[in-house]
Amino acid sequence: MRPCLLLLLLLPIATATPLAGQSTVTGIRDLNFGVVIRGVQTTVAPSDPIRSGRFYVRHILNRQVQVRFTLPTTLARVAGGATLPITFGATDAIAQGTAGSSVPVTFNPNNTQTFTLTTSADFNVNLGGRVSPAAGQATGAYRGTVTLTCTFF
Amino acid sequence: MRIANRVSAVLAALFSLATAAEAQSANIQALATVYQPISFLSTRNLDFGNVFPGVAKTIGIAAATSGQFQMGGQASGNVNLTFTLPTNLVFGANNLPIATWTGCTSPTNTTAGCTAFTPSGAATGSAFSALGALWVFVGATVTPGAAQAAGNYTGTVTLTAAYF
Repeated sequence: MRPCLLLLLLLPIATATPLAGQSTVTGIRDLNFGVVIRGVQTTVAPSDPIRSGRFYVRHILNRQVQVRFTLPTTLARVAGGATLPITFGATDAIAQGTAGSSVPVTFNPNNTQTFTLTTSADFNVNLGGRVSPAAGQATGAYRGTVTLTCTFF
Repeated sequence: MRIANRVSAVLAALFSLATAAEAQSANIQALATVYQPISFLSTRNLDFGNVFPGVAKTIGIAAATSGQFQMGGQASGNVNLTFTLPTNLVFGANNLPIATWTGCTSPTNTTAGCTAFTPSGAATGSAFSALGALWVFVGATVTPGAAQAAGNYTGTVTLTAAYF
């Protein structure tokens, strides 16, 4: 009798844990500045539908997700020998739920941000930024890695 | 008492499990391709010379007085060429119609084997040579009226180049 009672008590607590695979974060789209000119700063807005970076996050309705970017400070020249400064400003990230009623939230990707999922269980995070090639910047392709870490509560 | 302790320990462990945060990460790439700026190294005016009332005159792209733009840019870089073209050359209050524009792009300073295009408001795709060079030649036709006023007529042809 006692074990049964114990089981009944514990079940509601155990089911509060997110199920494996239920909460996910996925990289959807690279942040792509395209062709940039030496000596000319180039900005991609987080609202840019083609060039902005994008992650997709899914969790559980009415639960919280903490998002934290790990951002590069430079992009590395693929052929080696040079780096390209990249910066992210206070309004360079936008999170928006997938529900039609979801309101976009602009935030600073340099800071940790916590969202409570009130309108939808999933949302997209868009990322913009700017690169600043020097006047004598070595030409060629540059790349760097952007990581989004989500902590699901 | 021992049972109670065990129950408490199990409850604490499971409660801890229930409230433990689960963290996941995903990556994207930040990408950029650095090109050198586009520069206009030299230009040559599209010059019709003397024209006469009632006699249309055409300057073809291969003519010595065709318009010419010499550009420098990123080796093998793709570029869109967009023209702003006059519909008249102007001398005071007098207009001299200009139309039937022709164009040609070349990796060298010659129209032999160049790539023909029609200058217009729409962008024309082209590319710099492997040495980062591009020449653009333009021609057109002016049509003086029978009572065209004598004078020096001028207009401006603007070429805008942008990488794509």
